[in-house]
Formats: sequence, structure tokens, C-alpha cells
Amino acid sequence: MGEASLVDEQTVINITGLCKSYKKKLAVNTVDLTVKRGEIYGLIGPDGAGKSSLMKAIAGVLSFEQGALEVFNLTIDSEASAEKIKGRLGFMPQGLGLNLYGALSVEENIDFFAQLREVSPEQLAERKNKLLAMTRLDKFRERPMKNLSGGMKQKLGLICTLIHQPELVILDEPTTGVDPVSRRDFWAILAELLQEQGITALVSTAYMDEAARFNRLSLMYNGQILATGETDSICQQAQGCLVELTAEPQLEALKQLKKHYLQIEAISSRIRVFADNTPVNAGVKTVTDLLAGVKIKTIRAFDAALEDAFIALLRERPLIDQTNKDKSIPRFDKPLPHNKSIVIEAKQLTRDFGKFRSVDHIDFSVKQGEIFGLLGANGAGKTTTIKMLTGILPPSAGEGHVAGADMRKAGQLIKERIGYMSQSFSLYLDLTVMENIRLYASIYGINRKIIKQRLAWVIHIAGLEDVIGQLAGSLPMGIRQRLALGCALVHQPVVLFLDEPTSGVDPIGRRHFWEILVHLAREEQVAILVTTHYMNEAEHCDHLALMYAGCVIADDSPANMIQALQNEAGQLLEMTTDNPLATLALLKQAHFKGAALYGKHIHLLALNSENVKDRIHELLAKQSIKLINLEARSPTLEDVFVYRVLALENTEST
Amino acid sequence: MNLSRVWAVTYKEWREILRDRLFFAMAFGLPVLIFLVLGYGISFDVEKITFAVLDQDRTAMSRDFLHRFIDSRYFDYKGDVSSERDLDPLLADSDIRFAIIIPHRFQEQLLAGQATSVQSLIDGVFPYRAEIEKGYLSAIIANFNAQSLADYLARTRGISKEQALSQVSPVRLESRYLYNQALRSQWSMSSGLMMLVLIVTPPFLTALGVVREKENGSIYNIYASTISRSEFILGKFLPYLLISCLNILVLWWLVMHVFGTPFKGDPLFYYLASVIYVICTAGIGLLVSVLVRTQISAVILTMVISFVPAMLYSGLLVPIESMGMGTKIEAHLFPTLYHLRISWGSFLKGLGWAELWFDVTALIFYAILLWVIGLLNFHKRPSE
Repeated sequence: MGEASLVDEQTVINITGLCKSYKKKLAVNTVDLTVKRGEIYGLIGPDGAGKSSLMKAIAGVLSFEQGALEVFNLTIDSEASAEKIKGRLGFMPQGLGLNLYGALSVEENIDFFAQLREVSPEQLAERKNKLLAMTRLDKFRERPMKNLSGGMKQKLGLICTLIHQPELVILDEPTTGVDPVSRRDFWAILAELLQEQGITALVSTAYMDEAARFNRLSLMYNGQILATGETDSICQQAQGCLVELTAEPQLEALKQLKKHYLQIEAISSRIRVFADNTPVNAGVKTVTDLLAGVKIKTIRAFDAALEDAFIALLRERPLIDQTNKDKSIPRFDKPLPHNKSIVIEAKQLTRDFGKFRSVDHIDFSVKQGEIFGLLGANGAGKTTTIKMLTGILPPSAGEGHVAGADMRKAGQLIKERIGYMSQSFSLYLDLTVMENIRLYASIYGINRKIIKQRLAWVIHIAGLEDVIGQLAGSLPMGIRQRLALGCALVHQPVVLFLDEPTSGVDPIGRRHFWEILVHLAREEQVAILVTTHYMNEAEHCDHLALMYAGCVIADDSPANMIQALQNEAGQLLEMTTDNPLATLALLKQAHFKGAALYGKHIHLLALNSENVKDRIHELLAKQSIKLINLEARSPTLEDVFVYRVLALENTEST
Repeated sequence: MNLSRVWAVTYKEWREILRDRLFFAMAFGLPVLIFLVLGYGISFDVEKITFAVLDQDRTAMSRDFLHRFIDSRYFDYKGDVSSERDLDPLLADSDIRFAIIIPHRFQEQLLAGQATSVQSLIDGVFPYRAEIEKGYLSAIIANFNAQSLADYLARTRGISKEQALSQVSPVRLESRYLYNQALRSQWSMSSGLMMLVLIVTPPFLTALGVVREKENGSIYNIYASTISRSEFILGKFLPYLLISCLNILVLWWLVMHVFGTPFKGDPLFYYLASVIYVICTAGIGLLVSVLVRTQISAVILTMVISFVPAMLYSGLLVPIESMGMGTKIEAHLFPTLYHLRISWGSFLKGLGWAELWFDVTALIFYAILLWVIGLLNFHKRPSE
């Protein structure tokens, strides 16, 4: 191991000025990237940022036009040269289990990859047993791949990619659409395997909150790299700090701050603002001074998280619309009454597909002017629930009431009071923006006299002024999403259903979108039911229901959920040591609950945090591991979800 | 060539086919289905042609004349009408294909030695059938004329009717049809359909097999691994070759036992020639899979470049000899023509290598050409 330090310095991937375009569209634009041996390197960016194209080029499965690419110090510039590296790398393309073979069992899938990669039978048997045990898939050897859950598919994909022990693995969005529990599991397994075998990994993700999993990362947007480095250093590249406050009246505070800051959003009762060019210690004072006639209840300042930094960095470039239009959003023709009555109600709602129970006796209710979030992984039953509530799908049992009508019997009339935006956006891509809106207006039978005015209203509220004549198909996802929202609003509904409206949309688009939703709920008293698998987005909701395997496992406001977690399981501690893996092993031996690795840090839950801190100091001292930092953090909704699901699984297994 | 990698792909593919019920049904059901539908559906025998009669004469002679039509196996008599106006709706609704109108004074004029004319109204929508109908009508009338003349000669010259007949038509045609004595179009059609079915299903299966992986994204397992292009293509193709080889036998059995077509040639020669043909048509599927990315476009493109030309240019429906020069050249550019010759030669004529070597060589040439083009255009590092 004397050469270990030399080997560590070795460069595995080296890219300069890489460009890749499809027809006329530039997908990867002059990218430079260096990945060192043993790193877990992250590529983070929204859909269409160019992550997949870049990764495919590196894996030697996609040609590119310009730039130089070296993998293992071999220049990759032709099909023949690309062949030379393929034995030494593993590539897992995007899509849940799409690169696996659905009809084949878990074991047969692994065997196929092993045969393809010429792994000897002895090695195969040994590695297969080990990897199956680590991923806890050994019970499912005989199960056809298509019958696995999303998380299990991704773990199987990982085994198949690693079966020939590559030196470099390239994983394209391995965690997208996977539930938070499985996502954590996946990261833990990946980190352990890579460390053990000294594998280098290049991993992409659309989830900003997964950044902590990487040693180093690059933020990508529109084919370009915005920033590169460790998470903390990228966050510091954004000049400014984050200030979070609660104030009365919230709308007035928002209005005043918007005059000074571009990057601002309201998350339920809180306001989050990115104070440009303001150091953390000056953040509170700077923001407080800007507010007049507003009662500030709480206020604190801290370093920007990655998503805020991402947006701040984007704003430094002329890539996006800079103007924070201080426009008065037009009102509904007939304002809805402010009476907080229940407008959406699910009572023991159940739906079976054959033997499979997709939705299992769920209850919840949504009041007027409330944003209600239905959270869960792919396949948790969210879409089925929405379909039952909108009358598209009849329930197998139970009732759904919307705007006072029983959706099993409700006729066409009720649909005029409901807006629905489906997962796939349901737009006509060959029609222009205006034609799409006009079509929806005609479908909802908008009166001819007011149609012109209504179309203008939709354009205005969805912020589509600049793209009226463009084809829907040519729009970026973020704008397409607002168009879909506009189409769902064309009849000014009382209730709005949104099914995963933000998947694939970049953070800026997501914020703009939420701004409109908050306006609709606060100002117009529209009841909004939204589903999402982005946990951090759930903070926008007034009320949440966590769905898992067809059941609602928690139903409360985000703040209460986090509070309940802290009451039950204690504080979330984040520790940083000079040897995270050894520390993790140590903590697991000592039976610390939920200890998990996040890049360099380790998270764990502690009911009696002072006591636990002492024990940790003691433990680490014994093993002479240096503790760099140990502090309490406030848990996220993802922590809540993971905790609830694990608790459920524990009670089921005992 | 690393055979263990080829085997890995083949084995994986084979198990997928066996477990995917839809694909399995397509692999074995589709050829039989196409074969039966077309085999029973396409028939060029013009028989049982429906017709009606307007007899304005109503004499013994007119009835005798009409019975020549009514009694024929080619015609299906639908009845008498009383006026010309009644014929129009019958023809318009396709209840009858033609009508015969016997004029007033038919018998009177004939007995007086005057010429008379019989009118026939024929549905001309489908010219091929109309021509044949007219041919049948003319033949029956010519026969009637000859008989009348013979009767007259017999009466006036005092000779027997047989003698008179041989004087009226001194030359008679004695034709014997070779290879397909009864002129059953089903014999030719069923054996010819082997060509058609085997140009549809092997490329379908091969194209779908490759494009399915492209559509799913599992093709990246191949792109990103060390397997060579030819190893992958070969491994992928072997299961489909096996299926197609079985299908040849199934279709062959159907030709002989469902359609009753005899097989007169050399079975081994025909089987091997058909396997070469299948390799050749699967090459079309490989080309398609290189060009497209979705299964649906693979289906459409395969249909357009295999099925349609096979119908038009193979010689199955339109004899090559009756094609124009341009069409004739085009026909020779598709491999279907050669396999059709091999099929008809083997089934009906009892030919073998000695007579059909050129066609087999042409198929081998096509097979090599298609596979080389396909392989050269399959890339593990594509630009999209």
C-alpha cells in the first residue's frame, strides 16, 4: 500500500472543452471536468442540463463533436478507442430498471451481465452472493425483475454494473423516482462498495439535496457547468446568505423584500430570501432594516444551501430571465368566498387493480385556500388517488367528495369546478401556446363574450407573455409546465389537482411555479392538492400526507411532522470525523439508531443528545478517530419520511 | 469472435422470448396467421359468377341457349327478370356480375337464317374478372354457333352430327396443364406464400428484438461492454433464426396438408435454400433496426420495405413476364423473386440445385450484402 497516495492522485477522467449537439441543439457546451481515482463525483442539474449526454460520452457509448476526453489516460475519440476502456468501466443508464430484463429473474439478470463481462463462474458465485447479501436482495433471487420495487430495481442495476469489478462506474440518475428510504439505502450501499473496492464513481442526480453524498460535484445547467468543487465551496461561491423569517402580514413583507431581492420565496408561513452580497453575520440586520410596518416574529440567517447557491450562480449568468416582475397577478372573475370549508375529502378511499391494492383505505381532507401535499415514491398510490378524486377512476371502496359532490356519482357539472394537471402535462405539442389555451377554453365551454379576456388572464397568470406564438413542443420543461397549469386554470376552478407537476423541472422553474400556486391558494382561496416525490418541495404545503404502499402513514403540517419526529426520535446530529467510514462502522457496532453516511458527514438521531454526544466522544477517543465537528441540525421532511417508513417496517416484521 | 459472449446474448434472448407471451405468440402465431389469411384469401379462380337473365323471346331455342350458361360450373344463375330496368339495381348492388339479354324474335331470326345478337351487361369494376367473364361468354357462344352450324350441315347434307361438327371446327385445341393439372390457384398461392411469410416474420422479429433494447435503454449494456458488434448481432440473431427455421417446417406442413399442394422436389435442397432466404430477410430486419429507434417505427418500416415489395414484385400476383421493363428490373432487385422460383420449382415442378442454382446464389449474395451493410452501420458509439 506504499503507492496508495500516488494512485489516489491518479486522474481517471479528464475532459476539456467537450461539446455534443443533437441536430442543432447543443446538449453539452464546452465542458471541462476532472475526476480522480476513488472519488464519488456528482453531476447535479435539472432535466436537459446535459448530464446524460456527458456521461454517455465518457462511457464511450456516444460520440461527440468537439473537445478532448481521456479515460484512464486513454484518449477516446473513436469507436475503436472507446472499446479499450469498456472492460474497465460499468455504466448504468437512466430509468428505473430499464436497462435490466423484466422477464428474467434477479439471478438471471446478474448471470447475464457476468457472462457478457466474462466473469469466471467461481468469481461470479462469490461476488453474487456478497452483493446480493449486501443489498438484501438474496431473498428475491428467483423473482422476475419486473416485479421488484423501484428501489430494488436500482439495487439490482447496481449489482449488474459492478459484477465485473470495474475501476470506474458511471451511474445516470440512479435515485430518481425511488422512495427516500430506498434512496438512502442505495447511497449507503454504494458508498460502502466503492470504498471497499477502490472504485471511482461518476453519479448524476436531479435532487439538489443529494449533493452531500458526493466528494466533489459539478452543477450543470443548459449544457454548461456552473460550478465545480466540494458542496461547501460551491455554496460559498454564491455571494450572499440565506435569511429565513416569519412576519405579519406575510404578503406585505414579501412585497417589500421583492423590491430588493430577486431570489425570494414564501414557504407556508415562512419567507426565505437570498440576500445577495451579504455575509451571514449581517444578514438579519440587513433584511430587518428593509422592512417597515411589518411585524417580524422570527428571523435568522445562515449559509446558502446548494439549491439557493445554484439559483444564485445561475443569476450571475445571462442564462435566465433576470427580471423579477413586480406585477400584480390578475384576480379571478368571481372571487371565491373566504370560508375555510372542506372542499376535498377522501373517506376510506380504496382502489384495487386485480389482486394488487393500489390505494388502501385512505382518509384526508383539504380546506379552501389550502395547499395539500401528497408525498410518496413512484407506485405509492398518489396518481391513483388523484384519479379517483377527479372522477376519472371509480374507487373500489370508500368515497371521495370534491366541492360537495360525491365523485362516484358526480356528473359533468362538477368538472367545471375542478382543474386537473396530469403527470404528462396533456398538452398538444404541435399547437402553439395560445392555441393550447384556446383549445382548453373551448373544451371547458368558456363563454364567447369573455373568452378574449380569459385567454389574456391565463397568459398573464402563467407568465407566458413572451412565448404566445411558440409551439408547445419547443418550450423548455419549466415553461411547458406553466402552460399546463394555465390550461388547467382556464375555467377558474375552485379545486386544483396537480399530479407531480414539477418532475423534470429545474429549480428556478419550480420556484416560479410554486409562486403561482401560493398566490392561487392565498389570494383566490383555491384548494390545491399536489403530489410530489421531491421532499424539499413539500415544505411549501400547508398540510401533508405521506403515502407509502397505498397507505397514508402520516398526516399533518410540515412543521408539526418535524416536531413530532424530534419528540419521538430526538435531535438529528451531524458529525464530521477524519475517517467517516470507520466512524460509521463504530457507530453501527454500538447500536446507534439510523446512523448514515452523507458524503463526509454522518447523520444520526439522538433522543438525549447531550448524553449521546458524550458517548460519541468516548467511542471515538478509544479508536483515536478525530472528531472535527458535532452539531444538532433540524431534521428535514425526508428524515420524517424515512423514520416513519422504517418504523412501519419494524412493526410489520415483529 | 468470443463464443461465450455470443452465447450469453443468445441464452438471454431465448429466455426472454419464452417468457414474453406476446412475443412468443408473435414468433410462432403470426406466420401461421398471415399464411392462412392470405392462403384462403387470395384466389384467382373465377368461378360461380353470379348472373341473371332477361329472356324477351321465351322460346325453346332461347331456353336452350340460356341453359348453356345456367348449367356451367363457372356461373351461378340467380334468376330471370322481366324488364331491363330490373337489371340495374342487381348489377349496382353486386348481386350479379353480368346479365344476358335475349332479344325478341331470337328463335324466329335464327330459324330464318338471319344473324341475331345477344346482349351482355358485364360489371367492369374489376377488369381482370370482367375480361375472364367475357372470355367465358364468347367461348359458350362460339360453341353454340358451331353447334348450330353443325345442325344445319347435318340437316342439309344428310351427314351425321359428329361429321358435321368436325367439318365446322376442323382444328380443336387439346390442352394439358403441366405442374398444376387442375389449375388450382391455391397450389401456386400456398407454395408461393412461403416466400411472403418468410419475408415478413424474420425481419419483424429481428428488428423488434434489437429495437426493443434500444427503446428500453438496455442496449447500453451492450454499448458499454466489451462484446463486439458481430458477437452481439450474431447472439441476438440466433434465437430468431431457430424460430424461423421451425416456422419453415410449420408452413411447409400447412402448404402440403391444409392446402393439399404436392411437394415434388428435393426436401433437403428446399429446406437449405429457405434457411438461406430467412438469413437474408432477417438481414432486412437488421437494417431496419439500425435505422429506427422505436418498435412502432420498426414495424411500419419493415412492412413497407419487405411486405409491400414482396406482394408487388415477387411475381406472386403479377407474372414477371407481364411487367414493364422498369418494373421488371425492380423485381429482380428484391430477393423475393428468387425464393418464389425456388418454391414453385420445388413444390410443383420437382426442380433442384441443377435448375435453381442461380436463384440460390442470388439469395446467398443478398444475405451477405444485407448483413455486411447492417453490421457496418451498427455502432456501439452512436451519435444520438
